[in-house]
Amino acid sequence: MPETISVQDLVEVYSDGTKAVDGISFEVNEGEFFGFLGPNGAGKSTTIKVLTTLLRKTAGKISVAGFDIEKHPEEIRRVIGVQSQETVVDPDLTGRENMMLEGHLHQMSGDGLKKRVDELLTLVGIADVADKRAGHYSGGMKKRLDLASALVHKPKLLFLDEPTTGLDPQSRAAIWGYLSKLNKEEGITIFLTTQYMEEADKLCERLYIIDQGKIVASGTPESLKREVGADSITMTLENSGVATQTKEKAKEVLGAIQGISKVIESDAGITVYARNASLIIADIVRAFDSNKIRLTSVNFASPTLDDVFLQHTGRRIRTEELNTKQTSFARFGARRRPVRQ
Amino acid sequence: MSLASDTYFLFVRALKKVMRNPILLFFSLLQPIIFLVLFTQLFSRFVGAPGLFPPGISYLEYATPGILLQNGFSSALQSGTSIVDELNSGMLEKMLVTPVNRSAILLGRLLSDAFRVVVQSSIILVLAYILGFNAASGAGGIILILVIIAFFGLAWSGISLAIGLRTRSAETVFGIGGFLTFPLLFMSTSLVPLKAMPDWIATVSNLNPISYAVNAVRGLSLPSSALPGLGLSYPGDIISALGYIAAIAIITLGATLYLFRKVVK
Ligand SMILES: Nc1ncnc2c1ncn2[C@@H]1O[C@H](COP(=O)(O)OP(=O)(O)OP(=O)(O)O)[C@@H](O)[C@H]1O
Ligand SMILES: [Mg+2]
Repeated sequence: MPETISVQDLVEVYSDGTKAVDGISFEVNEGEFFGFLGPNGAGKSTTIKVLTTLLRKTAGKISVAGFDIEKHPEEIRRVIGVQSQETVVDPDLTGRENMMLEGHLHQMSGDGLKKRVDELLTLVGIADVADKRAGHYSGGMKKRLDLASALVHKPKLLFLDEPTTGLDPQSRAAIWGYLSKLNKEEGITIFLTTQYMEEADKLCERLYIIDQGKIVASGTPESLKREVGADSITMTLENSGVATQTKEKAKEVLGAIQGISKVIESDAGITVYARNASLIIADIVRAFDSNKIRLTSVNFASPTLDDVFLQHTGRRIRTEELNTKQTSFARFGARRRPVRQ
Repeated sequence: MSLASDTYFLFVRALKKVMRNPILLFFSLLQPIIFLVLFTQLFSRFVGAPGLFPPGISYLEYATPGILLQNGFSSALQSGTSIVDELNSGMLEKMLVTPVNRSAILLGRLLSDAFRVVVQSSIILVLAYILGFNAASGAGGIILILVIIAFFGLAWSGISLAIGLRTRSAETVFGIGGFLTFPLLFMSTSLVPLKAMPDWIATVSNLNPISYAVNAVRGLSLPSSALPGLGLSYPGDIISALGYIAAIAIITLGATLYLFRKVVK
């Protein structure tokens, strides 16, 4: 299969010196559903901005849809559709007008455009509010409108930056539905970024895990999970937040148990990996009990992408996400809008 | 080709946004309307003072051109807030990932600003007409007056857009706009003739672009017999006024284009 995106040694340094992307390389094949998975600040949006011609690369060699990004940005813009992370709709225009404008800016017009807009409004399920001002839409409706307007001109290549963040489970499932359909039935190549493990697992054929501007792992979701090769048991300990010595003691106890392949400490607690974890749970509980270490919870799971992330970065993507959200909320809560480049 | 059609679609979009926020339109008209009604009452007897005003014109006739330009000036100075909004909301980026002609983004905005000024000026003219104002040069003159005001507005939209692009802060645009409006208005011949001013204000007024634009409009609205009394010659002063406005517009629009290119690249 020919590749439709090729990135070699991309580096992106912002004007304030932040190195947001630190030498990544990858290829996306035509028709592929490709994913970038990473926590806050990993460099996902920055990569998308470079690939969609919004940001000039600091270094590297990039082609999109067969065109060099420096030499032919106009050609690239004709064939890509982009949904940015922040939902952008014109609040003073109706949903339909938002989409018509998008079509006009892509040099579309007439009945063909009208039909296409109707079709997409129906596809994303906002046909009934199409003539209402988009400013009055709910967050999920705006997000769907934004997605639909990225599709007006039938792009060959679709960039989606966290398209389901902040949506309720039903809306998320609905969006997953259209995206799969677009990819399978219309053959659109999709480049998606996400912080959600299930999303990447469910949608993406191939996945790159990015953290702090670097790629830490890549492969199909299955192969990545196979790499972990073991079930996981995650435990939280009573008082573990207060007394590190409890945690140390626990790790010592775990070290003595046969069959455990790896012990990782994270904000969520302690996670151990083992081939036959279900058999080992009893051993762990017994050993902790006799050492007077009290468990508040024990969770058993087959390998997930979350474990892949944890193994490669030593952090859990979910808790990491929650923690950063909370602190940044407390610190910047009063600020009105994110500062953008 | 795509410059024309993209400009058209973005112009229409900008107009829809204005029309759908009638409250904003209303508030920007409120001030000139208050000026029109209040000042022309308050100062109506001044025209009787010997030697300040040419004989035979009312204060309404004298001040309406000034009020029209003040409105064009102050609403143009707010136009930078719209580009700040496009920058901060992500709308600009959304447009920039499409093949839209880059210049059309700016041009559509400027044209809609100019159009808005024309609409507001027409409303003020209708009100002034009801109060007894009439343009000496007739319908053709009115059209020319609207063109002058729109063109004058464009020059200041350019300044406002440049400030918006540079600072990315609507508050700064508002602040600078508000700060400039009143001193420039009162230190011009908008409301008070040159002869009635202290020397230093008269000096400022002679450099003030608002005075030039007001003179050009008065050249069209007042009977030509009244012009010498205001120290104006027809059509020489009108032509030089237009030249002065054009020079300002070229500088401000050039700066805007330069800053916009920097953002877009
Ligand atoms: N305009 C900017 N100027 C300076 N630094 C920036 C700018 N935009 C992003 N960064 C920094 O670059 C890094 C990567 O940011 P980026 O937005 O690409 O992350 P992300 O993976 O999209 O994260 P998230 O999941 O939170 O959206 C972060 O450290 C961020 O602070
Ligand atoms: Mg992001």
